[in-house]
Amino acid sequence: MGKKKRGHPDVEEILSRPWCYYCERDFEDLKLLISHQKAKHFKCDRCGKRLNTAGGLSVHMNQVHKESLNSVENALPNRQGLDIEIFGMEGVPEDILQQHHQRIITNYYTAQAERHAATGNPPPGQSGSQGPTKKIKVETAEELKKRLAEHRARLAAQKAALANGTPLPVDGQSPAQVASPFPPPQGGFPYPPPGVPVVPSYSPVQAYPPSYPPGASPPPGAPGAFNLPARPPINAPPASSLPQRPPFFYAGPGATAPGYPASASTVDELVTGAARQGHGDDIDQLIRMAEAGIKPAKNGTPTEETPVDKKSKKEKNMRMVYGDSEVSPEEKLALLPRYRFIEV
Amino acid sequence: MAPATQFEVAQPPNDAISALVFAPDSSHRLLASSWDKNVYLYEVDADGSEEATLVKTYEHRAPVLDVCFGANKDEAFSAGLDHLVKRIDLTTGEQTVLSKHNEPVRCVVYSPEHSILISASWDNTLHIHNTTAPSTPPLTIQLPGKPHALAASPSKVVVAMTARLVHIYDLPTIATALSTSSSSPIPPWQQRESSLKFLTRTVSCMPNDAGYATSSIEGRVAVEWFEDTAESQARKYAFKCHRQVAPDEEGGGDVVYPVNALAFHPVFGTFASGGGDGTVALWDAEAKRRMRQYQKFPDSVAALAFSRDGKYLAIGVCPGFETGMEDYTGEGRTKVFIRELSETEAKGKGPK
Repeated sequence: MGKKKRGHPDVEEILSRPWCYYCERDFEDLKLLISHQKAKHFKCDRCGKRLNTAGGLSVHMNQVHKESLNSVENALPNRQGLDIEIFGMEGVPEDILQQHHQRIITNYYTAQAERHAATGNPPPGQSGSQGPTKKIKVETAEELKKRLAEHRARLAAQKAALANGTPLPVDGQSPAQVASPFPPPQGGFPYPPPGVPVVPSYSPVQAYPPSYPPGASPPPGAPGAFNLPARPPINAPPASSLPQRPPFFYAGPGATAPGYPASASTVDELVTGAARQGHGDDIDQLIRMAEAGIKPAKNGTPTEETPVDKKSKKEKNMRMVYGDSEVSPEEKLALLPRYRFIEV
Repeated sequence: MAPATQFEVAQPPNDAISALVFAPDSSHRLLASSWDKNVYLYEVDADGSEEATLVKTYEHRAPVLDVCFGANKDEAFSAGLDHLVKRIDLTTGEQTVLSKHNEPVRCVVYSPEHSILISASWDNTLHIHNTTAPSTPPLTIQLPGKPHALAASPSKVVVAMTARLVHIYDLPTIATALSTSSSSPIPPWQQRESSLKFLTRTVSCMPNDAGYATSSIEGRVAVEWFEDTAESQARKYAFKCHRQVAPDEEGGGDVVYPVNALAFHPVFGTFASGGGDGTVALWDAEAKRRMRQYQKFPDSVAALAFSRDGKYLAIGVCPGFETGMEDYTGEGRTKVFIRELSETEAKGKGPK
């Protein structure tokens, strides 16, 4: 206390803080923790005497007040037991200790990611790797040609697949994904994934297709716009929740257009779409997508692959032991044969 | 500091307890009303022997839903499932019918300041009795819903009804109407909607006449103030209590118990709550803090009462009625505990 907090402490610092087994609170130093435990958990509610341990309090209650202590006061519901002897950080079971560390680490990185997302600042200590990822990726002519060839090959494959009625994974990748910490697990991706994961800032639809001059060389997808944040809550809608679209807009890489009906009209649409795509270039597609109001970010990224570190939130379901909000328990009792009054 | 002690009353009622109350002029005299059709009078031994003896029982025709003391320790009033409001002379055991409702009588409350007895019945009426003239017929006040709880402060009476209705009546107004025996209906001093979303379980008034607390079947207590000003009304609050975390095997979440009993400490103005979870907690209404939670009782806490000097807390324990119980009985599991509080046990710390 008193010491001014400098920025945000790193995770080791937080992990090294002593914490209370009974209520999970953490403290600046061990002395504070011990006095907290004496005041909150080992204090006699009869005479106010502060004992060193729960066992000590139990003995005190027994001998001085002739009462038995069943649970530790102010403790978390599953930590009220007297069977574990805690003093400061001593006596904390190994599994609880691990759980606590895991929780701190998870919380720490969640908070860090949120901070970075909120401020747009790069994570500290990773600035060295910032250089390459910050640069705008410029493709060489060879690269572009290679990509175009790959694209064509895929289109051909897609057409063939359409004839069979099974939509194939389609090109939706963007080079901007180089910046993504989660490289798509899909083959044929022309760029090596970055060595160090970097959390990019989230940019909602920006720098988007209509701003491209038509007729320019096929732009590599929509740079920047695919720059997805690493935070799952925002960008993790399952592909199936997207509006129905022809698969080449819709199916993400690796996604197999779940539940897509192979009805005649759709196939027509697919064929014409594919034909159009065959002649035009990505720009047309992007423009059409923009017109349709689709965010390509959702299409082009393997969102399903994003690791989900979201804590499964406990559903707040409650059960009332007496649930009738119209009739009181007494009214119900009064009707039972045991209690019913019949005037004679 | 005198240590706190707790003991069990040797001869508890034979079935579920409906109410407990200490005498106004003796902190050792305790009445309990029961579903076994009796009212029990206990005397807590003053010599510190940690015993309470059964002095007398008063048999009724039907289960007794409520009991309260009258002007002194020898007079009591009872509310019966047989629709009757009775006066009991505790010395002779003589019972006199004061009035008859059309449905069971749920609550009785006595105002020593105005010598008025008020009974609330499921026939949607309050009967106002002038206890100084027991032969005069009572005044009737029509209610918009079935009353479930009733409490009096020195100047107000709070009635909690179904549909979350709360009416507050002004006792001096009622006293005037009673003395002039005017036939015009007595309007409530205030009409409120309960701060709690679920059925009101009980009401208790602050001893300093400032406000009251209500509790519901859904593990919650609300504290509010009488004064109808924006500041006073902004002070009101409600909180969750008497809940337990269900084990994960049962789907997790909370098991929510009804808060069956509330009692304000007559000296410190703190209050105790008793719930279906079998616990009693002491709350500091000003500081909005829980001061204490006592160790679990074997069954649901049905009734609570502080003695007039605040030295004793009586706790009525019996199985709680839960949804779906067809064969409820409190037999054999009904107990009365008396807790002797240490001097500062129920003393609040004041607002922080």
